[in-house]
Amino acid sequence: MSKKKLHEDQKYIDGLAANNTFIIQAIYDKFVPKVINYIKQNSGDVYDAQDVVQETIITIYNQAKQKKLELTCPFDAYFFLLCKRKWLNQLKKSGRKEVTINEEVLSKDDDAQVLSFETSVFENKQTLFKAMFEELGEACKDLLNATFKIKSMEEVAKSLNITYAYARKKKSLCIGQLTKLVKASPKFNQLNY
Amino acid sequence: MEEQDYIQFEAYLAGELPKDELSDFEERLKTDAPFKEAFQVYKDFTSHLEHEITNEQENSDFKANLDVISTMHFNKTLAPKVSEEPTQKSNLYKYAIAASVAVLIGVFVFTQFNYPTYEDFNSYEPISLSVRSSDVAVFNKAEQSFNAQNYEAAIAAFNTILEDDFSNLEIQLYKSIALVETNQFEEADLLFNKLSNGSSAYKDKAKWILALSYLKQERNSACIDVLKTIPEDAEDYESAQKLLNQLD
Repeated sequence: MSKKKLHEDQKYIDGLAANNTFIIQAIYDKFVPKVINYIKQNSGDVYDAQDVVQETIITIYNQAKQKKLELTCPFDAYFFLLCKRKWLNQLKKSGRKEVTINEEVLSKDDDAQVLSFETSVFENKQTLFKAMFEELGEACKDLLNATFKIKSMEEVAKSLNITYAYARKKKSLCIGQLTKLVKASPKFNQLNY
Repeated sequence: MEEQDYIQFEAYLAGELPKDELSDFEERLKTDAPFKEAFQVYKDFTSHLEHEITNEQENSDFKANLDVISTMHFNKTLAPKVSEEPTQKSNLYKYAIAASVAVLIGVFVFTQFNYPTYEDFNSYEPISLSVRSSDVAVFNKAEQSFNAQNYEAAIAAFNTILEDDFSNLEIQLYKSIALVETNQFEEADLLFNKLSNGSSAYKDKAKWILALSYLKQERNSACIDVLKTIPEDAEDYESAQKLLNQLD
């Protein structure tokens, strides 16, 4: 995938990552109306649409910040697929009315399918990672919070009153602990590892 | 995985794995599937933590900005149109008559005219804010100003809090009350729209304050419309019913 040419709509991804207000407004003006229509036609209302859109944009932002998301298809198709999938999942979960899946609306753009699927997997990872972090013991949480906030391991060690070597080792073991928690989760097989 | 494996993952990611271990490590990544899988999770989790913890401020700025843009977009294009009170003037006129009658023949008779006013209902409980940031002083200031009915100062403090934490619905709700108290209805409406249509715990409270806002503006039919949407299990249901009866 890395060999593919970036789509010019990458500007939306970069704009989100940079918290560019004009780009975010442009996304709302250009791409959101279609999502609202779709959700309204499928047992939802405007406020459902507002939430779905907001959550989707936050996910794209998170991925763009972390993974340098590279768009090789139009943003429109990618974004619509993501919102649509999120909405259908919510309907399924809440057991609301029958869903009329309008397959014609589905993008035939393969890249959009692949990329939006990757983003959905990314979102599932985020959700699971957050939950697992909460299960960690306080000592590990404190150490990791300090480690990723302060950056310099020397300072972390000093602030927690432990030696550098111990701080370093402890960090590995705490993330190791998280790795184990993730792998043991029943949701692990949805993460495409 | 063994402890040693995680220590190796960390060293590898930091680019500090000794040369003699490096080729063995990379070889193992190629041949040992569970090892590779654990490494991948370890690496992703590290990236997740970097993003969540290191970028915490940036992330919350982004969410705040997004929230504003989203609210503006949805209010602009999709706000439910509340019918304007066509008889606002005549209501005012009637009110004026009622008021002068009251002056003439006393408060008791005035209440017989059944014109409830905003002041009959705006006895807000003292607030006690849940402090969500380290800046306790501004929370105290907001709380004290609000409880002393010094609403301008309260709004200023609320704004300071919302700059850091735009999605704080509790503060948005109290700010909306302060805006109604100071007759800044349009700005208050923006908040009401968001709160009353959301799914938060403040939804019904926001509807009640919105109804009071309409009452204060003497937009009685709009007020009645909102009151009717307050469900039975809402804290303000009884007050809402009382006001409805008086308006009907």
